[in-house]
Amino acid sequence: MNIIDIQARCDRVPFFRFLGIKFDEADSTQILAQMPFADRFIGNPVLDTYHGGIIASVMETVASLSVLDNMDSPPAKPINLTVDYLRPGFAGTLMTRATISRKGRRMASVETVAWLEDERKPIAKALFHFLLV
Amino acid sequence: MTDTTDADRFAVIANLWNSRAKGLILEMDLKVERADKDGVQLRMPFNPDFCLDEEGTLLHGGVLTALLDSAFGLANFLAIDDVQTMATLDLRVDYLRPAKSRADVMVFADCYRQTRHIAFGSGKIWFDSGDKEEVARGAATFALTRGKGDSLLDKLNTTGPGS
Repeated sequence: MNIIDIQARCDRVPFFRFLGIKFDEADSTQILAQMPFADRFIGNPVLDTYHGGIIASVMETVASLSVLDNMDSPPAKPINLTVDYLRPGFAGTLMTRATISRKGRRMASVETVAWLEDERKPIAKALFHFLLV
Repeated sequence: MTDTTDADRFAVIANLWNSRAKGLILEMDLKVERADKDGVQLRMPFNPDFCLDEEGTLLHGGVLTALLDSAFGLANFLAIDDVQTMATLDLRVDYLRPAKSRADVMVFADCYRQTRHIAFGSGKIWFDSGDKEEVARGAATFALTRGKGDSLLDKLNTTGPGS
C-alpha cells in the first residue's frame, strides 16, 4: 500500500475529511498518520484539550485502513475497541501509529498509539478488532 | 438536599452544558432530553459530515464513541456532587450493528458506581426510529478529584463546560 492511494481513499469519506487526516508512512504491517488541531475537536473548553472521542476516532480510522489488503478492498467492519487515555490531549498536531497485531482470514486485531510531541510519551493507546468479511 | 434543590442543580448543569458548548459538543448539536443523578439521555441529529459514504447512509463508529464519551462526562457531572476534575481513564465500546440510519441518534449514559477517586459509567446508543435496537454499548472509568469550592460547576459558570 502506498500513502497516495490511502490518502485518496480517505479523502472520499466525509467523516475522514471532517478529521483532516494526512498519511505519512504505510507498509503491510503499519500506518503512520497525523492530524492538525482544530477548534471543532475540543472536548474540554476549560483546557482546550482534544475530545476523547476524536482521539478514538482518529485511531479507529488509521487502524481500519491498516488491515486492508489494498485500497479496492471493502471497508473493515469495527467490532469493538478499548482506549486507554494516558495524558491530556493538549492542542497540537496529533500523531497516530496503527500496528497490526494479528490478521487472519476473518478477523484482525490492531494496536494504535497516539502522541503529540514525543512518541515515547503517548496521550492514548487503543486496541481495535475488525471483521474482514 | 431536598429533591427541589437537586432538580434545580440538574437543570443548571444541563443548561450550562448546552449553552456553553464548544468544539465537538457543538458540532454534534446535542440536545439534553434527560439529566439527573440516575443518568442522562442526549439526542444528536443526523449529520452527513459524520458518515462513511457520500450518500450519507452509514455513520462512522468513532462518532458513536465520541457521543458515549460526551454523555459519560455529563452523567458524572450530575451524579457526583463535589467533582472538581474528571479525566477519562479508559473507554470500551462494542459496535453491535451497523449505524445505518438517518434518524436522530440517542444515547443514554449513567454513572453506576463512584468511589473517592474513580467513577464507573455505562451507556448505550440507538436510533430514534423503528424498533430502537441498540447500535452500540460502552463502558468507561474516570479518575476524579473532589472537594468543596472551585467545583466543576463553578468553573463552568466562569469559563465554559467540561466534557
